[in-house]
Amino acid sequence: MVMLRCKSVALIGVLIATQLTAACVRHQNAATSASENASANAVPPAVRYEDRIWAGGVPPPSGGLYSVQANSAQNAQDGEALFNSMNCDGCHGSGASGSVGPNLADGRWRYGGRDEEIFNSIFYGRPKGMPAFGGLLGQGGASLLVGYLKSLPKPDTVPTESSIESP
Amino acid sequence: MIAVRNALLLIGLMSGAFAGAAEVDGDWSMPAKDYAATRYSALTQINAHNAKGLHPVWSFSTGVLGGHEGQPLVVNNTMYVVTPWPNTLYAFDLSQEGYPLKWKYRPDVNSNALGMACCDAVNRGAFYADGKIIYNLLDGHTVAIDAASGKELWKTQVADLRSGETITMAPFVVKGVVIVGPAGGELGIHSWLKGLDLQSGRVLWTARNAGPDSEVLARPESFHSFYDKGDDLAAHSWPNEAAWKTGGGPVWGWISYDPQLDLIYYGTGNPGPYNPEQRQGDNKWSCSVLARRPEDGALIWAYQFTPHDNWDYDANAVLILADVMVGGHERKALVTFDKNGFQYTLDRATGELLAAHPYVMVTWAKGVDLKTGRPILDPAKQTGASKGQVKDICPSLEGGVSPASPAAYSPRTKLFYTSTNNFCMDWTAREVRYLQGTPYMGADTPYHAGPGGNLGSFIAWDAVNGRKVWEVKEPYPGWSGALVTGGDVAFYGTLDGWFKAVDAKTGVVLSKFKVGSGVVGSPITFRGPDGKQYVAIYAGIGGDMALLAGDVRSDDPADVRAPPDYLKTLWRHTSQGGIVWIFGL
Ligand code: HEC
Repeated sequence: MVMLRCKSVALIGVLIATQLTAACVRHQNAATSASENASANAVPPAVRYEDRIWAGGVPPPSGGLYSVQANSAQNAQDGEALFNSMNCDGCHGSGASGSVGPNLADGRWRYGGRDEEIFNSIFYGRPKGMPAFGGLLGQGGASLLVGYLKSLPKPDTVPTESSIESP
Repeated sequence: MIAVRNALLLIGLMSGAFAGAAEVDGDWSMPAKDYAATRYSALTQINAHNAKGLHPVWSFSTGVLGGHEGQPLVVNNTMYVVTPWPNTLYAFDLSQEGYPLKWKYRPDVNSNALGMACCDAVNRGAFYADGKIIYNLLDGHTVAIDAASGKELWKTQVADLRSGETITMAPFVVKGVVIVGPAGGELGIHSWLKGLDLQSGRVLWTARNAGPDSEVLARPESFHSFYDKGDDLAAHSWPNEAAWKTGGGPVWGWISYDPQLDLIYYGTGNPGPYNPEQRQGDNKWSCSVLARRPEDGALIWAYQFTPHDNWDYDANAVLILADVMVGGHERKALVTFDKNGFQYTLDRATGELLAAHPYVMVTWAKGVDLKTGRPILDPAKQTGASKGQVKDICPSLEGGVSPASPAAYSPRTKLFYTSTNNFCMDWTAREVRYLQGTPYMGADTPYHAGPGGNLGSFIAWDAVNGRKVWEVKEPYPGWSGALVTGGDVAFYGTLDGWFKAVDAKTGVVLSKFKVGSGVVGSPITFRGPDGKQYVAIYAGIGGDMALLAGDVRSDDPADVRAPPDYLKTLWRHTSQGGIVWIFGL
């Protein structure tokens, strides 16, 4: 079952690979304008992202507060494309099922599963090896990824692993 | 200290003549026991007749749940243990009952490294030299610790975490030079080997594994590749500068040294990304063995096992220096079990290929051409974004032998001993963008079992004739290093948590014990202060197999994984751990 999901994700990744680059450029622009707006407010983020690895070598914009934007089904689809094109899959596995980074498809969260919390994980990074993607993705891109992660179906077989054959 | 040791050895040999029994070296002071990387100890107390009486005499929880690769060291009645991240170093006093700690050293290791390390936060051990314990921290530092007091003598940043470099290998020390290299073949690093001054930690030289001759330290007067001619081979075999600067070729395995030739040997890992169509050319010197001078890093020769790698066949496996009969002549050889499924025998003075035998099922190549040194490829197994899914590539990218599980060689039986894996894989590549600090991979590579019904084995291998002498089949992939002794006993551990002693001549299992967690470390043997021989091994599943095995962890309620199709049942036999075991008679 896991395998099936991986394959279909890879396939989608290949199919829409061409539209990714365009999407990324769009989000980077979004980030720039967001940081300009925010520096006017000059509210420092409460998260110490400067200690994280910056994905793409780009630090998240500072001097403002960024938060998740509203999600839709379309967000989830674009988010899935970003999940592969931003190399999230390299650390979290195809279908976000877990590799060096934790499983993001098990419905359980180290840092909380509210949209805002998932957004902060992606935008500012987390201490045990989650890079800060805010600089690369901007507010819009990070929000799309929240939409994608929230759209993943929670597996029903995980909490109990059993070797007893079901009849 | 090496001089002192040699002097002691001489005295030992001389007095041995009077005592009647020459004392063999009962310590284990470097990762692979000796410069030739044989993992052979001449100790004979434990032998094929009494090994059935082996039992645990001591154990210690390191307090860290993670892949315990590598091996302890034993020097001057002290055992040294390095844990996976956060890389705590323990020193146990073997001369007191219960082996209490003399000290422990707790470095401050950047936790960001946990994401940059591709394949678990492992550490492959320390090296003892000149009264110092030298080892690497995951976040890119090399440290020297006073072996007696545990005081930090120096700490040097050698790798750049932000660009995806971490360090998992054990350093190597020769002629007062500490030699280290980075992991990060999955993160588009520009890989290197560095030589540090043993006394100060100062970087003496840096040699790149890809790039122009000036950076690779390939000087026309000293560098002679047996097969490849021309300048800037390691730059011209890439499409452009951007490609070799993000081309991987990491150094996460083992180093060996030939004192007569004055050459160190190390292997390089896969080129990046996993989509080979983004890096046309041979991609030198990825998937290669390089021979350098320890004092200045000068490249003397290099040989590429897998040119233009399509399958993630890192060449980081141990390079054992042994004298092997080839065509009726004894040759000074270098023997390795490459991830790509071939056992190679090279002339270690020149890099000439003498033999290449498949030791597991191999489908990507039909053989290796001894004239050109190049593999004879099966065109149907070439991968790339334009090729869609390529099926049934054997061995899988985990390797026929994982470089994490180093082989051993016995000069008595003239056989090599190693764990093996029996996975094949499918490969779907896609275009991928380099984004610093993130994986530069671009392939989906699910595994399936190879033929035979077992996923792994422990084998004895005759490199002269290229044949398996015996095999112990294992239900799960083999991820443990090997040890072989003068008592003709070989030792290894399994992913389902068994530690086994086998007859080195026959493969008959002499004893086994369930050590509490899967074994991915390498056994060592030593003589204790009481004059008795002991064997030590880590338990603590980790590395790729723990990441892939599904739910073998229980310490994190927020990370629950289902086992994959190809490792459905491993979770029934192990969960994470971190235990040092000592066995005796
Ligand atoms: C370099 C490896 C790496 C990359 C690339 C990466 N992650 Fe992570 N991620 C991690 C690690 C490791 C953690 C765990 C961090 C911790 O526990 O402090 C993590 C944590 C997270 C979390 C928090 C999970 C929780 O349980 O609360 C989210 C959400 C997340 N990552 C999403 C993403 C997304 C989306 C991307 C791509 C934009 C991405 N990650 C890319 C390694 C990575």
